[in-house]
Amino acid sequence: MIAPPQALIAEVTHRCPMHCVYCSNPLEMQSADRELSTDAWTAIIRDAAGLGCFHLHLTGGEPLSRKDVEQLVRVARDAGLYTNLITSGLGLSRARLKDLVAAGLDHIQLSFQDSVEETANAIGGARAHAYKLRVASWIREHRLAFTVNAVVHRHNLDRLQEFIGLAEQLNADKLEIANVQYYGWAFRNRDYLMPTRAQVAKSLPIVVAAQERLKGKMRIDFVLPDYYAKYPKPCMGGWGRKLILIDPAGRVMPCHAAGVIPGLQFENAQDKPLRFIWEQSDAFQCFRGDEWMQEPCRSCERKGIDFGGCRCQAFLLTGDATATDPTCSKAPERSAVDEAVSKANRDDQLNQLPRGDWVYRIDPVMRA
Amino acid sequence: MKPPGLAERPALKPGCRLSPASNPESLLLIPEGALRLHGPGRRILELCDGQHTLADVIDQLQMEFPSAEANRIAGEVVTYLSRLHEKGAIEFL
Repeated sequence: MIAPPQALIAEVTHRCPMHCVYCSNPLEMQSADRELSTDAWTAIIRDAAGLGCFHLHLTGGEPLSRKDVEQLVRVARDAGLYTNLITSGLGLSRARLKDLVAAGLDHIQLSFQDSVEETANAIGGARAHAYKLRVASWIREHRLAFTVNAVVHRHNLDRLQEFIGLAEQLNADKLEIANVQYYGWAFRNRDYLMPTRAQVAKSLPIVVAAQERLKGKMRIDFVLPDYYAKYPKPCMGGWGRKLILIDPAGRVMPCHAAGVIPGLQFENAQDKPLRFIWEQSDAFQCFRGDEWMQEPCRSCERKGIDFGGCRCQAFLLTGDATATDPTCSKAPERSAVDEAVSKANRDDQLNQLPRGDWVYRIDPVMRA
Repeated sequence: MKPPGLAERPALKPGCRLSPASNPESLLLIPEGALRLHGPGRRILELCDGQHTLADVIDQLQMEFPSAEANRIAGEVVTYLSRLHEKGAIEFL
């Protein structure tokens, strides 16, 4: 028996007014004309609740680029789901926020690109920072959980203390500090985003001290940069173990990046029940268990902890999705990570901002 | 963190709520996921409405579970709510 997923991650659109250089959306995005209708999402949300999910994460792109988010929140709440909106804040007015809360929204995650406006806007490719500050103050007019998402990297990690201060000032319940993970657009811009070893080392005690100081007031979650770690992350809590993700066109995937792996066929949520897709489809079955694993994973005592790391990262760095995630110190192809890390620690040119040569995330292009 | 006082009023924090009673499983839904509720867990949390004091919650539980030792109930309620306070699911008003 395969336990049901805990959460449905609904990537309702890939459209976004931000152009963050570290966006984790795929380079090949789904265009607006392929997006599922409100009715289709309604059916999917109910199906997910029936399957046993208890959380719905509405994300994108910018989910608020769609006009029906309030409706989807209401559907989810009626189906017994806990709803979380992951947003840049753009597309949110004071009135719309009120409607979302009335519809039953439980939790909102608001992203910030930096504590300093100028760099924040340079990273996000949009003049968004000042507006986000206003959105944060509106959020605190309501009784819902408020998380600040802070993505950190080479160009803002030195201001981590100030970033934590910003989240405190905004009165967030939780601060999620996530080092950039190198997928999608972030993989394209990896050399410019990767912090130095010294930056990472300096950041750790800052996080620990803040966690201690703010205990009971603001929780701080911290995602380590896995290129600097000894062991890989248990990506998505393991392939097809905890999370089910549906992209804007209805493709059902084990994670947002899985589309990069060649040969995987994703079922569409409009064609088949989620239970079948979760329990039986090839895309979910292929990396469950340990039969697909190579050595050293298969005989590793950590295989039940990290499941061999991330399949998408293994593919991106080695060309083989069944390889050991190269961020593992035991990985035969660890050199792929070591080279990137070594470059990040050698090349001072990478510190320059603004950069003319990094690739801003664009909006999906409509089909002709 | 200091232990909560008996006159303080425990409440679920914003963004934390009990799963609907119609659900087959009793859960405390929180931003990070869900906590499975066992034994009197759900009953304790139902009383954490920001109106009842910690003393009220203990009294009520002692009344509803007369066969259990009163001191033990008091201790367990305080431990339970302190733990959830640390997890960010409970606040004391």
